Amino acid sequence: MDRTQFLIGLSIALFSLGLAGVIVRRNALVMLMCMELMVNAVVLSLVTVAARGQDAAGAAYVFLIFVVAAAEIAIAIPIVLLLARQRRSLDVGAYTALGG
Amino acid sequence: MSEAAFLYLFSAAAVAGALVMLVARHPMRVALGLIGTMLSLAGLYAVLGVHVIAVFQVLIYVGAVMVFMVFVIMLLDTRDPSFVARYSRLLLPGALAAAVLAALLGALLARRGPGVPWVPGAADFHLQPFSVAFLGRYWLHFELTSVLLVIVVVASIAVIKGRGGRDG
Amino acid sequence: MDLLTAIVLLPLAGFVVNGLLGARLGRGFVSVVGCGLPILAFAAAVRCFLVLTAAGGAPLLTTAYTWGTVGGHAFGISFWFDRLSAVMALIVTGVGSLIHVYSTGYMKDDPGYARYFAYLNLFLFFMLMLVLGRSLLVCFVGWEGVGLASYLLIGFWFEDPDKARAGKKAFITNRVGDAGFLLGMFLLYHALGTLEFDGVQAAFAGGAPAMLSADLVGILLFIGATGKSAQIPLHVWLPDAMAGPTPVSALIHAATMVTAGVYLVARLNGIYAHAPVASELIAVVGVATALFAATIAVTQTDIKKVLAWSTISQLGYMFLALGVGAYGVAVFHLYTHAFFKACLFLGAGSVIHALSGEQDIRRMGGLARRIPLTFVTFAVATAAIAGIPPLAGFFSKDEILWFAFASERGGSPLLWAVGAATALLTAFYMFRLLWLTFLSPSRMDEKTAHHVHESPATMTGVLVVLAALSAVGGFVAVPHFLSPLLPAATAAARLEEYETPLLVVSVAIAVAGLLAAALLYAQGPARADRLAARVPRLHRLLSSRYYVDELYERVITRPIQWLSDAVFLRVGDRWAIDGTLHGLAALARGAAGQLSRVQGGGVQRYVLLAALGVLISVVWVWRHV
Repeated sequence: MDRTQFLIGLSIALFSLGLAGVIVRRNALVMLMCMELMVNAVVLSLVTVAARGQDAAGAAYVFLIFVVAAAEIAIAIPIVLLLARQRRSLDVGAYTALGG
Repeated sequence: MSEAAFLYLFSAAAVAGALVMLVARHPMRVALGLIGTMLSLAGLYAVLGVHVIAVFQVLIYVGAVMVFMVFVIMLLDTRDPSFVARYSRLLLPGALAAAVLAALLGALLARRGPGVPWVPGAADFHLQPFSVAFLGRYWLHFELTSVLLVIVVVASIAVIKGRGGRDG
Repeated sequence: MDLLTAIVLLPLAGFVVNGLLGARLGRGFVSVVGCGLPILAFAAAVRCFLVLTAAGGAPLLTTAYTWGTVGGHAFGISFWFDRLSAVMALIVTGVGSLIHVYSTGYMKDDPGYARYFAYLNLFLFFMLMLVLGRSLLVCFVGWEGVGLASYLLIGFWFEDPDKARAGKKAFITNRVGDAGFLLGMFLLYHALGTLEFDGVQAAFAGGAPAMLSADLVGILLFIGATGKSAQIPLHVWLPDAMAGPTPVSALIHAATMVTAGVYLVARLNGIYAHAPVASELIAVVGVATALFAATIAVTQTDIKKVLAWSTISQLGYMFLALGVGAYGVAVFHLYTHAFFKACLFLGAGSVIHALSGEQDIRRMGGLARRIPLTFVTFAVATAAIAGIPPLAGFFSKDEILWFAFASERGGSPLLWAVGAATALLTAFYMFRLLWLTFLSPSRMDEKTAHHVHESPATMTGVLVVLAALSAVGGFVAVPHFLSPLLPAATAAARLEEYETPLLVVSVAIAVAGLLAAALLYAQGPARADRLAARVPRLHRLLSSRYYVDELYERVITRPIQWLSDAVFLRVGDRWAIDGTLHGLAALARGAAGQLSRVQGGGVQRYVLLAALGVLISVVWVWRHV
């Protein structure tokens, strides 16, 4: 197995672990962090493939992803804060307003 | 080669950090696990020869995002029901789904044979070419990110203020 | 548009104009249009009659409109004017116009004046379509149409639920008969490929064609005739139909609509000439109805009901004649009956008008001097129906009785005997009516007696004309005129010698009836009531009309109502149809309820579902890409 396959495999593993974390963990902040793990896994696979090329576009792309991830966290945290304040708990099981 | 050793070392550390994320009870420990994973990934990028990205990973992701996360964990009272009962009702289905996904994608991965051999340091991922390209060819994307950041700042203020900014 | 079509369409124009504009344009306009157009139609009919006789009886034919072409056969609305149609059309338009004129006087104060004349014109239109139609199809359209007009006119004062019910009864009973008519039509068309009268006559000219049972067709068409002409078993609607205005009873239920059945059989004489079973059935039903109705008429106390049962009885005579092959004679009786029955009904209307609405003959009497014109015309018509020579009824009734006895196609002494007994009863109950209404001492109450007055000229004038026709109409040799078309019945040669004795017997019967009635009723109903008290059960049987209505109620109406309620309503409608709909709705609701559990509200569940979606997409991509 060569390097690329190995790293892509690692990326798959990290992504699955992150997905599992989002579904099984109860704390809202932990859920957020697992989502960050998923993003990181994707970035890993992106870098793995881009590093083989000659173009600087790969680096720019990754940088932009970092920026967007930071922006996303900057929004997500306040939302979770508000939610936690309203429900007085970080337990995702208490957030049932999206029911149909 | 030592490269291979570092490769395996950092990969193992990343997976270990992810597993800590899944099993730790206190969110702070989960955050530390995530930081560990991110640092290992930075190391991997370095092994791959893209030092720029590695540095960015550490600076932006660990230095800004995770610090913010840690602050929030400190501020909030984490000893609520989710502390006692870590796992949701969907523990089994979730784990199963993730495992199946991993298996599926892994099988897909295994099917394709090894591709083009990798040559380290062939990419033009050094700082100088990167900055030239970023502020030259991709200047529009650069500007757009600044716009995005401004929007995010405004939005987070608006979210926190809410309807009169009062407590829920 | 030629004259023949004009005869039919003029009354239709009257219906449209009076129906749409009459209420707004006032009584005078309605009267002029409502009476004028039928009179014009009569004039057109007379003109066509003259053309017909000038051409030696060759029929006039007009195709007004081609209805449609089905399978290579074109169905058209065509009108046909031959000798039989001429007689019928003249009666319908002539007597019809007279009754229209009478109605202007009788219905003067009624708020539905315009509507009345519109309906009456509509009736004339359909009746003319019936008698002038060239094919059974056009005839059937007219047949149904007169049923409709009859329903509208019987229930004219529809605010009274009893009167509305009478209208419904008439229509529904007619429809039962129409089922037989339709089946007969279907059989004819299937076997012959044509419904036109001349085509049917030609097909039967040399004997019944193969593949077709003339008897079956004959019986089915006769069932239709029993419905329309009120023979047993479908006679129940006619007495109830007296709920309509009296001129309607005169026109529809005496002179014209009820004779449609007779016209139909006479027109299709080709079929009946080769249908011995059907003809025998007709004769038997006819004479039985005649006797049945006559026995009931003896006990009736409403002046119009007596006349209604009398009509049923006289129609029975017409069918008796048809049954023994004397088609022309039946039409002759139809013709004379139109005159004296219309005169009788209109006279009854005049009496009712004079007595401000009283219809019970037990409360009449002594009117001969007070309303002399009505009395005289009524008396003439009564004598005509009783068969007193030389009035019209004598000639036609005597011919019928003769052929009932002697015809080679089914005449028998039994038929004659029943017919003669009926004639006796006819004379008896008609003179009973005359005595109780006019000649016996007055039994009216003070107020009514004070207001008795002769009817206006529009009414009495018509009565005089009809009475005159009843008197002299018998001298017109109608059967002879019709004989090229309706072959005259032949009397068995060996029975020729009985002709004169039977004639004498007929006259004797009429006079006997007169005397019996005079004897019994000269001083009022008292003597007859004592006689009735001695045979209470018989009297009750007759005055309850043999309980036929009650029988139908129990045997037919109640089971159908039970069926509608228990089966169709409860099971069919509520359980099956509503249940299915409610069931489908409940199914949808239940499914929706179950499916909505997917969206429980937990975010993690949604993520899991998204992950499943991704899994499925990956698998699909793997397989197909």
